[in-house]
Amino acid sequence: MKNKSGFFYNVIKPLTSNKKALIGLIITLFFILMATIGPLIIKLDMNSDFANRYQKPSLKHLFGTDYFGIDIFAQIVHGSRSVISLTLLASFFAVTIGTVIGILKGYLEGFLGKVVDAFITVFLVIPSFPALLILAAIFSNTKLNAVEVALIVATWLWAPLAKQVSAQVLSIKSKEFIESSKMLNMGLRYILFSDILPLIMPYIFVNFITQLKGAMEFTIGLMFLGLAKFDSTHWGIMLNYSLYQAGALYTPKGFHYPFFIILNIVLLIYGGILLAQGIEEVFNPKLRGHE
Amino acid sequence: MKYILNKVVYLALVLLLALSGVFIMVNKMPGDPAYGLAVSISQQRNMEIDKALEIAHQMMGINPNESLITRYIRFTTNLLKGNFGYSTYYQASVNEIIAKALPWTLFVISLATFISFFVGIYLGAFSAQKRGKIIDIVISAVSSIIQAIPPFVLAVLILFVGAVQLKIIPLGGAYPIDVEPSFSINFIIKVLHHAIGPLLATAIPQIAAWTLAMRGNTSQVMEEDFIRFAQIRGLKDSTIANKYIKNNAMLPLVASLAITIGYMLGGHTLVEAIFNYPGIGFYFGKAIAFRDFGLLTGLFSLIVIGVIITTFIAELLYAMIDPRVRLK
Repeated sequence: MKNKSGFFYNVIKPLTSNKKALIGLIITLFFILMATIGPLIIKLDMNSDFANRYQKPSLKHLFGTDYFGIDIFAQIVHGSRSVISLTLLASFFAVTIGTVIGILKGYLEGFLGKVVDAFITVFLVIPSFPALLILAAIFSNTKLNAVEVALIVATWLWAPLAKQVSAQVLSIKSKEFIESSKMLNMGLRYILFSDILPLIMPYIFVNFITQLKGAMEFTIGLMFLGLAKFDSTHWGIMLNYSLYQAGALYTPKGFHYPFFIILNIVLLIYGGILLAQGIEEVFNPKLRGHE
Repeated sequence: MKYILNKVVYLALVLLLALSGVFIMVNKMPGDPAYGLAVSISQQRNMEIDKALEIAHQMMGINPNESLITRYIRFTTNLLKGNFGYSTYYQASVNEIIAKALPWTLFVISLATFISFFVGIYLGAFSAQKRGKIIDIVISAVSSIIQAIPPFVLAVLILFVGAVQLKIIPLGGAYPIDVEPSFSINFIIKVLHHAIGPLLATAIPQIAAWTLAMRGNTSQVMEEDFIRFAQIRGLKDSTIANKYIKNNAMLPLVASLAITIGYMLGGHTLVEAIFNYPGIGFYFGKAIAFRDFGLLTGLFSLIVIGVIITTFIAELLYAMIDPRVRLK
């Protein structure tokens, strides 16, 4: 059975045999292709062309044109790059911060452990959307790069993971091999990151996927709320333009403008949710029987 | 008792830290709340903007030379006395604004939670019992798709379809401006009518979340041994479904009810801002727009306090329902 123990049989096969994971994978792969090679194939011309304002969807303009007569499909394709890269980056930061702080909290005892715990709880009890509203106001006149936006979003995502990781660490901590590492004086860093981290790695990976939904919702929300000094084809900014600048909601001719932006946002998040649920079922057999 | 006392001290510490964070964040916001007034003064009286700004500061009771630390100390001591601060834009105490706005927010949040909890519990249990059938697949798929719609997008969609296109829900307010509040049937109907938009925007994602959670819990409970025993004992299917499965699947959800209400207090900000519904979130949006730092810190503190209290209640409920938590 040696040939059945590889990456393919352990990861790829169960993923493609799970219906949810497969559909989620197809949807997300579609958007990843859109973000990677899409902009190379589809040309984006951001020059206003008022003669072509609010054209209905057609073969020439797949999603129609916007208030300025610019092709919406081309904007969606080019924007997918910043939407996906920001989401991945924010999720990566959130998972890294959450894991490091979670391991610390799980390992530290006494007063220090309590302090770290209080720190995590502070971020749990400050609601993210009012905080994002204020952050959007703070940064409304600053041009931010992708790393800065991702860090802002990650600030409101890492805390729940840190709590969960610390609980996992607590249960691992009492195992014998940690005791032996301690007796061998292996040092805190070795115990935390060489003994404990590999054990919770699969858990963290699944969390990275489930985190994507929040990361995308927050980045789009932040852009939508007016953190506008970023790539103007980012879907959140496109949505802000379509609803508030171009007034597309109030003219029947402009209906398709926000519609296609929202359709793409929802489809991408839905694909992510399916993939996350599928992966959770694959790695957590307890859930598998219920589907 | 010691468990509760420890918890209270701990949460008080968390509250202090969180409020300090909020205070720093708000005061990092660029802009001077007096600037708008100063511009109009300088135009009216034809004077330099710096001079006008000084007058505006005086009129609004702002001391720009006051240090951040002095302001922070005043903010915390006031909060300890139950005073949420002063709104420079509305020229009123934040407590007054809260007294006016909080009932509307609580009205919509509690009604939405109540409706969505029962609808979600019912749909989830129903779906789990029809596992694999078309109706279950439809309920699960629709719930997941709703979960994929960001809340602010959903709110905008409801406003667009309901208020702009179909014109069946009002564009804003808690009741028509030309109607005097009273305890008449007519007024209550108007209030409910104005609440439809925010209510739908709050309840729809909640229904989807409760449905999925209840469906998962029900499926898990259905596999448990005591359900098999009940079947062997020859109990009626309807008794097993309602008394055994539903109750056991529902208990953990009851405990998370409190937490949901707390978090909705924060999430409602956006819904109210979009629907112009005069609750806490509406004033929060105004406070940001007018750079009213006093109002902003006051309202944010209120939201954080709400979240902490409901989290505490939820933890107590968990401990009551699940003795294992108490032992830790």
